[in-house]
Amino acid sequence: MSNDFAQFQAAFFEEAAEHLAVVEEGLLELEQHPEDLDLLNKIFRSAHSIKGTSGMFGFNAVAQFTHKMETLLDLLRNGQKAVSPPIADLLLKSTDCLKTLIESVKTGAPVDDAAVQRLTSELASASAAGAPQPPASELTTAIDPAQSGDLTKTYVITWTPPNWLFQRGLDPLQTMKELRGLGELTKVTLDVSRLPHLTDIDPEQCYLAWELQLRTEKDSKIVEAVFEFVREDSQLSIQQVSAKEADKGVQSQSVSTATPMPTSEMDGPKPIGQILVEGGVVSSSALDHALAQQKRVGEILVEQKAVTPQQLEQALQKQRQQESGAHAKKADTASIRVDTAKIDKLINLVGELVITQSMLSDLGARFEMSQLHVLLERVAQLERNTREIQERVMSIRMLPIGTAFSRFPRLVRDLAAKAGKKIQLVMTGEETELDKTVIESIGDPLTHLIRNSADHGLELPEERLDNNKPEMGTIKLNAFHEGGSICITVEDDGRGLNRDKILAKAIRQGLISENDKLSDEQIWSLIFKPGFSTAEKVTDVSGRGVGMDVVKRNIEGLGGTVSIKTTLGKGATFTLKLPLTLAIIEGMTVRVGRETYIVPLLSILESIQPKEGSVKTVVGKGELINVRGTYLPMARLYEVFALEPEHKLATKAILLILETEGERVAVMVDEILGQQQVVIKSMEQNFRKVEGIAGATILGDGTVGFILDVRGLIEIARQETAMAA
Amino acid sequence: MGKTALIVDDSPTMRQMVAFTLTNAGFTVVQAEHGKDAVNKVSVGPKMDIVVTDLNMPEMDGITLIKELRKMASFKFTPILMLTTESAIEKKQAGKEAGATGWIVKPFNPELLLKTIAKVLPA
Repeated sequence: MSNDFAQFQAAFFEEAAEHLAVVEEGLLELEQHPEDLDLLNKIFRSAHSIKGTSGMFGFNAVAQFTHKMETLLDLLRNGQKAVSPPIADLLLKSTDCLKTLIESVKTGAPVDDAAVQRLTSELASASAAGAPQPPASELTTAIDPAQSGDLTKTYVITWTPPNWLFQRGLDPLQTMKELRGLGELTKVTLDVSRLPHLTDIDPEQCYLAWELQLRTEKDSKIVEAVFEFVREDSQLSIQQVSAKEADKGVQSQSVSTATPMPTSEMDGPKPIGQILVEGGVVSSSALDHALAQQKRVGEILVEQKAVTPQQLEQALQKQRQQESGAHAKKADTASIRVDTAKIDKLINLVGELVITQSMLSDLGARFEMSQLHVLLERVAQLERNTREIQERVMSIRMLPIGTAFSRFPRLVRDLAAKAGKKIQLVMTGEETELDKTVIESIGDPLTHLIRNSADHGLELPEERLDNNKPEMGTIKLNAFHEGGSICITVEDDGRGLNRDKILAKAIRQGLISENDKLSDEQIWSLIFKPGFSTAEKVTDVSGRGVGMDVVKRNIEGLGGTVSIKTTLGKGATFTLKLPLTLAIIEGMTVRVGRETYIVPLLSILESIQPKEGSVKTVVGKGELINVRGTYLPMARLYEVFALEPEHKLATKAILLILETEGERVAVMVDEILGQQQVVIKSMEQNFRKVEGIAGATILGDGTVGFILDVRGLIEIARQETAMAA
Repeated sequence: MGKTALIVDDSPTMRQMVAFTLTNAGFTVVQAEHGKDAVNKVSVGPKMDIVVTDLNMPEMDGITLIKELRKMASFKFTPILMLTTESAIEKKQAGKEAGATGWIVKPFNPELLLKTIAKVLPA
């Protein structure tokens, strides 16, 4: 049955992830407000949803585990058990476990079965301590072997439905039809004895009763199943009679109305083994033994020499490949959930675009020069439409950053508990929207920064009290828009970065020499060097010397920057500045000869026209330019890309000072044209990687413009100097 | 068949699966996220031939929804099926008292779902 529904699995995983987040956040909040019933209900509902839906896909391990969690949650919300720290802890651990179980059905990743078992029994015992367990299954019953014959039988059914039958939307006619579907209704007698006087009749009540005779090959359980929804509220008797006795009346083999019906009836014929076991002919262990001796088709064929063992092995391998192929397929389909309001708005805009377009076609068909102003007006309208649609389409990929933040309360709680510190996490700006890809990629760097703050930044409670600080340390996580970028700050009120310690360590590691004069910023940026860590002891949280460099690399990979502000003893603030989206950048168009290039605006510090004599050629260092006393390496763009420029003299040309990752370079161009948003098209995907070029874009006049890769230009300038040397 | 069904479930996945099953069987499907949403939708929308509702939902739960629907003239005799998990079977009684026609146990088998609907759906 799952096959039809396979297409909904991706939706399930997404939904499950949301529910897991609700459960986790809810549990964390519950620790603060154990009495909050609404919260408990919300958590329960989410767990319940995961259970119900996972069962639909046959993810039984997930369904069963969630069932255990749900049982405990149910006791909590019914007030049969109180929320205590150990229970909250157990539920949080179970949530983690559930996460891995779901991940495992999604990707096939292995699961720690022992851990699942342990938690399952912990959940069970936590639930058992408070109240009796609900019965595991209410629907098991043995089938009376005498009933399993397949001869035509005659049943006499007497049915007096409850008089509120109609009020539950039930229709006795439907029941008759369903019975007729099982066989032949040989006799239907209506009993009107309960019918009151006409004046007393409530037309919405059912006063009727029936006696029916049904000839069918079906089991009495199936006949009874027809009455499934009214059985408990009706007077119902279903009795099997012999064909001869059918006319006379009722005899023998009455079926109690209270017998539950087996659920398996609907799933087609049972395997023969099961029928034999149920009929008491063989024991189930005898059946298992017999089944174990059963040979696989392949083995039999090999014995009969129909296939060679090699052929069999090949076929088996093929089967395995198909299995693993099916596995791989289900692994990852990226999807996004979009607010319908956003889509509606977009559809509206597309409608407007169509109108503008038809207005333009209309105008084009009978255009006269006198209508030029109308044309310009319509083109302006088209421009407006396009810009708005662009913005709206971009916003479809935008998600609130809160989705990335949601894991941190738990993280901070666990870190604080582990380190014996008191830490509160304050989050603001969760609603700030940014690109889905960016959100997915900043999770890890942010986690590291928060770990870093919790572990290195914040002091132990005693130390904080000694320094006249509140015992509770604070980590503030904030997201906000600034220009075309988004800023995320991780701020703590801990001990701050220690200038001397960092310097000493950097000198010891040979990253700098003792004589280097470094600005504060340069010193702080030392902690982003690979292998750098000042933690005096290595904890299992951080201080393993991996991380800060990875943070920086990840953020720069997204086109962002990391900066640090810190005051010794007061705390530190890490600021991540990220582009809103990866697909569109704000660019400055520049001209070299007849070619147009785009420089990412974020990397431009300033543009200058160098004075006579400020460009120096230094042996071993190539061309350098003196910008207010600092010498920067210089790259002539026309040389890099082998072009014929307008100006070869630096004093006639324009120099753009570009910066990336703290390094600067001066790039020489002929002219600055203007500023515009450009859509990045990948070079690697469409052509191949070209040194010094980050990508291409289509310019307003339809020609292709290249986007400069600042990092690459710095490398090129460096190589040239090396060559010049 | 040309029948219209109202599906109420707070889980979009579950809702879509029920909708998928019913749409394939020729139903026109109206979906609602929870009881309140359902009440809003039926008060302006078409007449429903059948309602399939989850019980555990935010805003308004299934039992309350059934009671609300039964108060409306157009839903007085409409078959309403509860979509419930096994553990919630004790809710069966509460559901029946509220006026539910029948129930389907989650996880459901699509064939059984259609069979159960056929069982209660007036021709």
